[in-house]
Amino acid sequence: MLEYELDKLDYFELFSLREEVEASKKPKSKILLLADCSTQQLAIILRVLFQLNHYEVDIKEAGFDSIELEVFDHSSELYSYKPDFIIIFMTVQRLRDRFYNSTSSKSNQLENEKEKIKQIWETLSERLDSKIVQSNFSLPVENLFGTFETKTTESFINYVRQLNHFIISESSNRDNLTILDIDKLSGYVGRKNYLDETLWYHSKTPCALDFIPYVSQLIIDSIISHKVRSVKCVVLDLDNTLWGGVIGDDGVDGIALGHLGDGEAFVDFQHFILELKKRGIILAVCSKNEESNAKIPFLEHPEMVLKLDDIAIFVANWDNKADNIKVIKESLNIGYDSIVFLDDNPYERNLVRKFLPDVIVPELPEDPALYVRHISELNLFETSSYTDEDKTRSEMYKVEFERQKLQKKYSNLEDYLVSLEMKITLKKFDEFNLPRIAQLIQRSNQFNLTTKRYGEVECKALLEENGTFPLYCKLKDKYGDYGLISVVVLKKIDSSLFIDEWIMSCRVLSRGVEQFIMNHVFDIAKDLNIESVLGLYSPTSKNAMVKDFFLKFGFVEKNVFENKDVEYIISTKEYIKKLVYLNEED
Amino acid sequence: MTREEVQIQLTEIFRKVFKKPDLVLSDELTAKDVKGWDSLNHINLIVATEKSFKIKFTTKEIQGLPNVGKLIDVIHAKITSIAQK
Repeated sequence: MLEYELDKLDYFELFSLREEVEASKKPKSKILLLADCSTQQLAIILRVLFQLNHYEVDIKEAGFDSIELEVFDHSSELYSYKPDFIIIFMTVQRLRDRFYNSTSSKSNQLENEKEKIKQIWETLSERLDSKIVQSNFSLPVENLFGTFETKTTESFINYVRQLNHFIISESSNRDNLTILDIDKLSGYVGRKNYLDETLWYHSKTPCALDFIPYVSQLIIDSIISHKVRSVKCVVLDLDNTLWGGVIGDDGVDGIALGHLGDGEAFVDFQHFILELKKRGIILAVCSKNEESNAKIPFLEHPEMVLKLDDIAIFVANWDNKADNIKVIKESLNIGYDSIVFLDDNPYERNLVRKFLPDVIVPELPEDPALYVRHISELNLFETSSYTDEDKTRSEMYKVEFERQKLQKKYSNLEDYLVSLEMKITLKKFDEFNLPRIAQLIQRSNQFNLTTKRYGEVECKALLEENGTFPLYCKLKDKYGDYGLISVVVLKKIDSSLFIDEWIMSCRVLSRGVEQFIMNHVFDIAKDLNIESVLGLYSPTSKNAMVKDFFLKFGFVEKNVFENKDVEYIISTKEYIKKLVYLNEED
Repeated sequence: MTREEVQIQLTEIFRKVFKKPDLVLSDELTAKDVKGWDSLNHINLIVATEKSFKIKFTTKEIQGLPNVGKLIDVIHAKITSIAQK
């Protein structure tokens, strides 16, 4: 796992680490920097970033502005050094000098440039086994012809475009050649930011210092992609990752997906994911959901881009995601370090980071509109080739998910729960929270034991009923505030305490919230000297996940009614208090 | 911003760039008085100063400043002229 964030590379921070770079005793790669500009900063930042990647290298800088000299002089240092990689970094500034100084026509000059570059590649390829990483050019800032610029080779910008096109089209025929796409980088960050004329005239620094780390990272990507295993599988969350909303609660008509609002962003994100699949990345789903619910959008939603066929492994259950990813990993027989896990929920991301530190878990922006950009900036899907096998890999890996494999549990989930520093509040309904309470009651379908849809007015009435305990629960942890996440209504009926309704947001499942609340239910029962607690489960099409809820707490079945409702009972004395890792707050 | 305030802010930049937390700036200070003030750190210093004060130096200024006092004058003049606009 990388120790730095690819979208926040800071030149000064990295530069300050330069004294900590250790000379490599056993370099994995020898790298030669051939450039027509100054490479001082580039070499320093490269060494720092390689060290942060735990990738040992030996980097040599050729003499200043000596590309041709090194290549065409067969006794040069280049040939005695025998590098694994030769970085040929050519700048638009030098190209411009030659463009203006040339006495031949611009189109002849263009052919000369092409010929020279080709000669360099061919000479190197004849004499060395090195991989060549050839830069292309940032487009220039010159504007001489205005609109007409694109129509003439006499304009410098068009000249650069044509040369870039040549370099890219040539690279596809040459196996030992990869492109350092400076054009793409400078365009992405903005050429007026990338190019720094003052620094160029002062010291032949190729670009503004801010972007030296990004050029370095491009070089690193092009080298590491040859050497290490790359990402093979993307594990996707569903709710609020592939579509907006919660399928179990909002239903197939209620989720955000399609040409309205952020629904469109999710569609585009799915297109991006589908392209990854076509490029050879295996797709897996890991979602906290009922499996049947989770599959509905794939089967029924007209705007869904990804189909069930695109997903090699589909895991939807209520177990923790680290366990599920372990199963996915073992089914595919790949390493954790070749898995990327995408989930909008920071709790899940941190859980996976904690238990499976090798899995790549990028942050996801809050706004789904930025998912594609953010993931692209991280350049997670580096590769040095694209073969026919890549195109069909997903089919090869398609395996049926076997539920029994889920037995392999992590024993130290407790430690993780403790580390979350969760704070919980359990209170009687109050005026201020009534709207949110009523909303949760209306919206929750999955963790909803009796599906009594109390409205705001009815909730208020519950408050005034004698012997009724309408309670709500709020949760926060060190990563954020989840707000009001559970509602429980208890009613004293004769000598029993009856759990009239219990609703919880599925986002906070398996953190001990339900255990905490249940403990509290029995505290109330004891305070009132109540002998037994009664629970009711009314099955609906969506609440199967709480079917065995009461059995897990030691209740036993008392009655099964004609409408399939099941009543459960336990005596107050028999209840065993559950261990929880939540701190109660007022 | 006064000249003194410029000097205080610039001192912080120098301390960071040269990793000398107790470096004291004087007007007479020149590159050869500060260990590590080579051509590479000179560029770092210039760019860090530009960022911190939100100004741009000209090529001539980058190459021609004789001492720290002159550097402070140039920064001070630039931010004063920005403030007046």
